[in-house]
Amino acid sequence: MWYVGRRVAYLVPTWLGITLLAFVVAQFAPGDPAGAYFARRHGRTPSNAELTRTRHQLGLDRPAPERYLRSVSHALRGDLGTSYTSGLPVMRELLGRFPSTLELAVAATLLAVAIGLPLGILAALKRNSLLDQLTRGGSLLAASMPSFWIAYLLIIVFSVKLHLLPSFGTGGLDHLVLPALALGVGEAGLVARLARATMLEVLGEDYITTARGKGLPERRVIGVHALKNALAAVVTQIGLLFGFLLAYSAIVEVIFVWPGVGRLAVEAIDQRDYPVIQGFVIFAGTVFILVNLVVDLIYQRLDPRISLGSAPTAAVT
Amino acid sequence: MARETRGDVPPAWFDDLLTRREAVRRLGLGAGVIGTSGWLLACGDDKSSRAVKRGGTVTVGAEEDAYVLSGESANVGQYPLNANIFEGLVRMDPSYGIVPVLATSWRLRGGKTWRFALRRGVRMHDGRPFTAESVKYTFDRIAAQGGGTPGFAKGGTKIVDDHTVDVTPSFPNLRLVEQIVHPENSIIAAGSDPVKQPTGTGPFRFGSYQRQQQLVVKRFAGYWGTPAILDEIRFKFLPDANARRLALEAGNVGLVLGVPNAAVSSLKGNGFDVHVSPAGAYEAMYANIGGKKGYTLLQDAAVRHAIEFAIDRRALIQGVFDGQATPEQTMVPARLLGGAAATVKGYTHDPAKAQQMLEQAGWKVGGGGIRSKGGRALALQLIDGFPSAAVHTSVAEFVQDQLKRVGIGVKIVKTADSPAYTARMKSLQGDLWLERGSQNDANPSFLPALLFSKKGLFGPGDYQTMFAPGGSFEPLINQALSAPSEQRVKSLVAQAMHTLIDRDAIVIPLAGISAIAASSSKVTGFVPQPSALQVRYDRLARTA
Repeated sequence: MWYVGRRVAYLVPTWLGITLLAFVVAQFAPGDPAGAYFARRHGRTPSNAELTRTRHQLGLDRPAPERYLRSVSHALRGDLGTSYTSGLPVMRELLGRFPSTLELAVAATLLAVAIGLPLGILAALKRNSLLDQLTRGGSLLAASMPSFWIAYLLIIVFSVKLHLLPSFGTGGLDHLVLPALALGVGEAGLVARLARATMLEVLGEDYITTARGKGLPERRVIGVHALKNALAAVVTQIGLLFGFLLAYSAIVEVIFVWPGVGRLAVEAIDQRDYPVIQGFVIFAGTVFILVNLVVDLIYQRLDPRISLGSAPTAAVT
Repeated sequence: MARETRGDVPPAWFDDLLTRREAVRRLGLGAGVIGTSGWLLACGDDKSSRAVKRGGTVTVGAEEDAYVLSGESANVGQYPLNANIFEGLVRMDPSYGIVPVLATSWRLRGGKTWRFALRRGVRMHDGRPFTAESVKYTFDRIAAQGGGTPGFAKGGTKIVDDHTVDVTPSFPNLRLVEQIVHPENSIIAAGSDPVKQPTGTGPFRFGSYQRQQQLVVKRFAGYWGTPAILDEIRFKFLPDANARRLALEAGNVGLVLGVPNAAVSSLKGNGFDVHVSPAGAYEAMYANIGGKKGYTLLQDAAVRHAIEFAIDRRALIQGVFDGQATPEQTMVPARLLGGAAATVKGYTHDPAKAQQMLEQAGWKVGGGGIRSKGGRALALQLIDGFPSAAVHTSVAEFVQDQLKRVGIGVKIVKTADSPAYTARMKSLQGDLWLERGSQNDANPSFLPALLFSKKGLFGPGDYQTMFAPGGSFEPLINQALSAPSEQRVKSLVAQAMHTLIDRDAIVIPLAGISAIAASSSKVTGFVPQPSALQVRYDRLARTA
């Protein structure tokens, strides 16, 4: 419990750091939000007088510390401000779109695990075989390709050439396949590489040699002893990947017109919709640290040694 | 078989669909009003044929969703994607002529007030008759936002009777009719919700809208003019240009807007129809002559003129714009200026002359081939660009290479988007400013007055500080703003542009830019417009 309490306590300064970062990044981003706000509404750049009026109207003429403290105090109450473009509460916009991003991230993670995990484990078990060589080469290639490039490739093959799947939009499962693949293929490469490396490391451990020496069947050695220990590290990585996908699926969402928070953020950046940009950074950061927390807790369950030495009484968990 | 249509080419099936009675009625409606000939040019000359299927749905791949959803500025279906839900009192044809729409005639009364006679027998999408009440509602709404370009004033729109309205802007505005062709001035139903149920009089009524996803419009059965052919259009917002193009190739959309130049030849080769509008936008650089913050090199007129002569515009068009641009040097579209456009001479590519001018001005070739005078190197900073560096592709690099050949060094500063560009402008740090501008109304004096007149159209700003030449330009553009005759306006603006370009070389025009769209063989009837805001979808159809 000490471990859990300490991990939760760490969240507070981390979260405050995120809010500060979001505010500072927004302040130093090139472009004047008042100018962008005016141009969006009037289709032209403002005169000096119009710019001053707009700045006042948006409260941007207040001192930066005052604006930061106000934004934190509002964020604590779940109020991330109001979008300049839609006029809707930013939290409502983010929550409205989060299920779509979650759907995409879950699908991409499942694909990454379904492809990467067995390939990595098999490659480790068949070290230096053709399968191992192919897995190593393929996973390196997949992990190296940017997701937007994979997205275009997938559209060209499955939509333009084969006419099997739609190139954009939402609807049935068929709409989910390409964006999930675009995000998941690269992640599958990472999972495969990690699973292979971890499995090889575990297979070289003394307790595996001992288990084999005791005459345990190979299936039991691998399935129970090796895999369980290898999975602990892989699960951590998968959790982090999942958090990463939640926060950074923006490019794929734009290409496939996927109505997630990433697309909302990209268009907010284009429009200099500062409340949405800040809100997105805080929201994505919060999701990321929560996912991290969950991953840490799972890891701790899988490997109880994690909490040893962490608490003053550190003896038992 | 792939085809290319140009903006003046009419819909192929127009004659089949426009009955004699309708044709006579439409001709009658436009009689005696300027611009009718332009509309007929756009709609009446049938040359190609593709059988048309009535009804059905076409999906259009549009650019990003930039609608405003809040307050008095809410404009779903109106701007920047004009989905033909709304109509203005007037609109603009491909030749920038004024076409009567909800107004049948207009005249100036007492020097400041415009009286509009409104079309009778028109219904709004909610079933109510269109009357002066909606005009007043619309213009008062714009007045509440500051008045817009026409300068609508609070209480300045008065209902004379159901079909007559007086509009008195906040300043004497002789250009008002040319300005209100912009869809931001389209008429919305009095009291309607502009986001949840946008209600106008156009050939399509609002269906549904999902932000950043799609806007669906449906044929309005009670339309006063020739009804739309399609039952429904689905505008899908596809902000990524490559994704838009691939969606067309995959058959997921029938028409895409905003096709990149580089994709044109490939799309044609793959059997798609490419629609290229007449030039309605321009690519140009502006020279900072304001001299603030140390950026003073372009105060030397010889350097500015040398730049004009140093650039090979035809090579630029072929090499950078893939041939999809025109060598216009008027900045304001030549088509809008009509015959007066010839007043602007422009420049030939003459690097020898450029070098000679620089030599005579005392700029001698120094180390690294860059000229200098009095120990100061002729090294310029080029800010690229508005509305985004991505739009300009490699124009800045091309200019850099061309100017280096005559001994002018150029450092390129790329700004990601227009907010970053305008922030840079606020610092006044830059010598050459690369922009792409669009002419979205029929007022030729708008852009020159907005960007280069000392007082600006809405008060002085950074453009005035850096680019306003004063001198003879100022009275020319001011007269253009207040001249009653259309021809006189064009002549004055052409003279003003002659001053800016030929005499002072403050504007360095590079090319006229077209809007490009592409469609599959299953879709026909798209007519590109120099201003994308004026595209009409009522003649869009599926092929049989």
